[in-house]
Amino acid sequence: MNAIDTALTGKSAVKLISGNHACALGAIAAGCRFFAGYPITPSSEIAERLARRLPEVDGVFVQMEDEIASMAAVIGASMGGVKAMTATSGPGFSLKQENIGYAAGAEIPCVIVNVMRGGPSTGMPTRPSQADIMQARWGSHGDYPIIVLTPASVSEIYSETLRAFDLAEQCRSPVVLLYDQVIAQLSETVALDGAGHASATRKWASGPRAAYQPYDGGSDAIPAMARPGDGYRTHTTGLTHSESGFPTQQPEAVTRNLSRLFSKLERHRDLIDSSEALHCDDADVVIVAIGISARAATRAVEQCRAQGLRVGLFRPITFWPFPEKQLRQAAAKARAVLVPEMNTGQLRLVVERVLAGVAVEGLHLFSGEAITPSDIAARATALARGA
Amino acid sequence: MRDPVTTVRPDPASPDSPALKADRADDAFNVLIVGVGGQGVIMVSKVLALLAQSQGFEVKQSEVHGMAKRGGSVFSHVRFGKRVWSPTIPKGDVDILVALEWAEGLRWLPFLKAGTGIFICDTKRIVPPFACLNRRPGAPLRYSKETPTEVVTHVGEAYAIDATDMAEKLGNERAANVVLLGALSTALEFSTTDWERTVAEFVPKKTVAVNLEAFRRGRGWIEEARNTTPAVEAPVTRTPTPADAAYRVRLEINPVWCKSCDICVKMCPEHCLRLNADRIAELAEPERCTGCRLCEWLCPDFAIRVHLDSAGAVAQQGLAQ
Amino acid sequence: MLIDTAADFDVRDYLRKEMMPHFLCPGCGHGIALRALLWAIHDLGLDKDRLAVVSGIGCAGRLSAYIDANTFHVTHGRPLAYATGLALARPDLHVVVITGDGDCLAIGGNHLIHACRRNLKLTCLMLNNEVYGMTGGQVSPTTSETRLTTTTPLGNQEPHFDACALATAAGAGFVGREVTHHVPKLKELIKAGLEHPGFAFVEVQSDCTEIFGRKNDMGSSSEMIMRQKSEIRPSAYLDTVDTPFRSNALPTGILARNDRPEYGATYRRAAAARKGAS
Repeated sequence: MNAIDTALTGKSAVKLISGNHACALGAIAAGCRFFAGYPITPSSEIAERLARRLPEVDGVFVQMEDEIASMAAVIGASMGGVKAMTATSGPGFSLKQENIGYAAGAEIPCVIVNVMRGGPSTGMPTRPSQADIMQARWGSHGDYPIIVLTPASVSEIYSETLRAFDLAEQCRSPVVLLYDQVIAQLSETVALDGAGHASATRKWASGPRAAYQPYDGGSDAIPAMARPGDGYRTHTTGLTHSESGFPTQQPEAVTRNLSRLFSKLERHRDLIDSSEALHCDDADVVIVAIGISARAATRAVEQCRAQGLRVGLFRPITFWPFPEKQLRQAAAKARAVLVPEMNTGQLRLVVERVLAGVAVEGLHLFSGEAITPSDIAARATALARGA
Repeated sequence: MRDPVTTVRPDPASPDSPALKADRADDAFNVLIVGVGGQGVIMVSKVLALLAQSQGFEVKQSEVHGMAKRGGSVFSHVRFGKRVWSPTIPKGDVDILVALEWAEGLRWLPFLKAGTGIFICDTKRIVPPFACLNRRPGAPLRYSKETPTEVVTHVGEAYAIDATDMAEKLGNERAANVVLLGALSTALEFSTTDWERTVAEFVPKKTVAVNLEAFRRGRGWIEEARNTTPAVEAPVTRTPTPADAAYRVRLEINPVWCKSCDICVKMCPEHCLRLNADRIAELAEPERCTGCRLCEWLCPDFAIRVHLDSAGAVAQQGLAQ
Repeated sequence: MLIDTAADFDVRDYLRKEMMPHFLCPGCGHGIALRALLWAIHDLGLDKDRLAVVSGIGCAGRLSAYIDANTFHVTHGRPLAYATGLALARPDLHVVVITGDGDCLAIGGNHLIHACRRNLKLTCLMLNNEVYGMTGGQVSPTTSETRLTTTTPLGNQEPHFDACALATAAGAGFVGREVTHHVPKLKELIKAGLEHPGFAFVEVQSDCTEIFGRKNDMGSSSEMIMRQKSEIRPSAYLDTVDTPFRSNALPTGILARNDRPEYGATYRRAAAARKGAS
């Protein structure tokens, strides 16, 4: 019995698998039954796994003609009521942005995996990077809400994939699973416990058609969605729409509906937020990092602590909306903050804003190599000693 | 029960009646077959020509065809005898005129030999589009008004057969031409066996049975008609015309949806619409409206709905004229 | 007896009447094409609850909002890609795509050729008015040579696409074209497309009177419609030599048809076979 079957039948299994493999398993366990994609390094293994697995669970895999079409097909499948996902890397992520904006604006649940590789442009397809942090949040035009998750291990890719589908369904939002090439293709021992996971279901429209308003947020700002075939015959559009779902440019209606859209994730921060603080309670120096950089930082923190230095690590797992409150709490006693990341300062920019007044130093590497624990430990040690 | 027909029996006193001996020494024997494109005029003439040829006659057949798609007039001359010179039959020299359509039969009557010519005609009426001068419901047609009774009395020997109806009852309307072929066979001295063999050779394999039955019905009908006194007359039953419609046209125009594009005004074949003072479409001349729906179909704004209300007695009066 | 097969079709039964009047310009042929589509849907007795209409951006893209069905107005050029996802995920739905010449052939050209190739059951209705009307009248892939648009002030010098030839070459299961003047024929063509088991591409020669027609001095809507009508060469007469059609006349009617396997059913069959084998 293979890992997927085990995950589906409820027996936990321990397997040595790669991050991309874990992502595919998580998707199946979460109830994903549609995948549309386009080949791109270093994410293609997800598509390859799901191409084999989806037909076995009555799902559909389709390789589309391009990245844009993949995103569009995923949204189309989700509009039909099926949990759907795509996976890509930087160049493909850029191409998908317009349709990601559509999913955000029309509030269509979907999951987009972006395995970050070096850039800009075609960059370094087989080398890791963490330079899509800002694009994941702001990549599409106009204001819009989006959820971005940044797992740091193969095990966490699995569990965050489960959570990505749940959040997408519960919040009617696109969710980006953002991780770097290192953990995508790194193999680790993972315990698969997805079978026990009670997948969230979308809030579906019920009750009389006449009373139903497709974009009435109700008490929780999340509108109930009409499933085609259920008799509601609604209209879905990327144009700014009123509660009825039909286009409007009437200023009051626009303001009312966009306000709900822009604030809906804030209403559900308890559901969305996820972060980890390691030795932060008394930390003079707090390291803020994600993904493979956070793994290196964990080692660095241990090294510093062994030397008696009060160094801690704060790791956002839900990156957007950014866990600002949690970071401020973790860095309450910090004199200095170190941000190691594989880009020129995208995370640092966020941290500087959240921790205004605290000295924030970046440790940036964009050579296509991962940042090592000793590089981080050296800077953290210097900061802790007041150098 | 016999099918509705009109017959004039040959005058036994006439020396030439029944006139047609195919082996007449000198003159060619002339048969003219006429109808409308698609009815099978050529088929009738080919069967006759083949049969005559197989009996040792020289045969000439000449035709106008190719109008099948247009429903146009089609005719075919068949001449046979010991020697045949001209391929076409001079006016007034036709021995037998076989017409597959009523008005076509009338059109070619002047070609029939005065006194002795035989007229065999289907009462089927195919109204050509140009006979519908006015598309209003109940409007009269420009189609020959002569009834079979009026016509046959002017001809020496005439048979008006509802061959189409007979063929329909056999399950294949298209076999009407073979019904007429059967009728034609009674006027010629070829053996029934030879006729039927030629028909069977000529028609598609799948339809041999129905065509042979149609042939026999036509032949039997003429034989019965000849022995019946007096001549049987019954009304022509089926005359499909656009004037059958019993309805009154009403246009429902939604002024809120109308955008004054005036497509309906320009495209109306009867020019009965106009834009009113508010530039909204309105039916200016309701009596001219035929209810053709072109305005409804071409309105990009769905502002027009054509209702054809049943007008019962009113329209019936209109038809009666 | 009155033979009036059109009597039982009232287009208003298929419209979202609260959205009417629609936003199209006076005389826009798209409305006529929409009627033909709805009429075809009526004739086939398709369930509105099971009907999904996906449309792109542009004048044609806006039509979905007026149809009383499950309607999706998506991004520019992508309705075929959205529809592919929807139709694969929900084979119980009847999915129709409404797109325009720019949406389908320019920004969405890649999706068109691959939808033709894939042969998933979808009906794609492309309304060709030779121009980007919504954005003010720029040249499109189907704008005829020499025509004036806001971006071809010297007259269009690019050759135009024959969308039906493109769809045929790409392997579409059903390809047809009709002008708006022949509404019942257009309805029958769309009906045949809707009934086709695979991918069906139907091009409607529509007119943009207000922008394209005005710019090119082409007269009123009725004149534009009549001109289109005069330019066609129905497929039934394609092979005739004795008809007075010009050699460059616009072919109409069903232009291509093949019975390649439909993709969705093929995929599901293969999946079932795999499951059965394991």
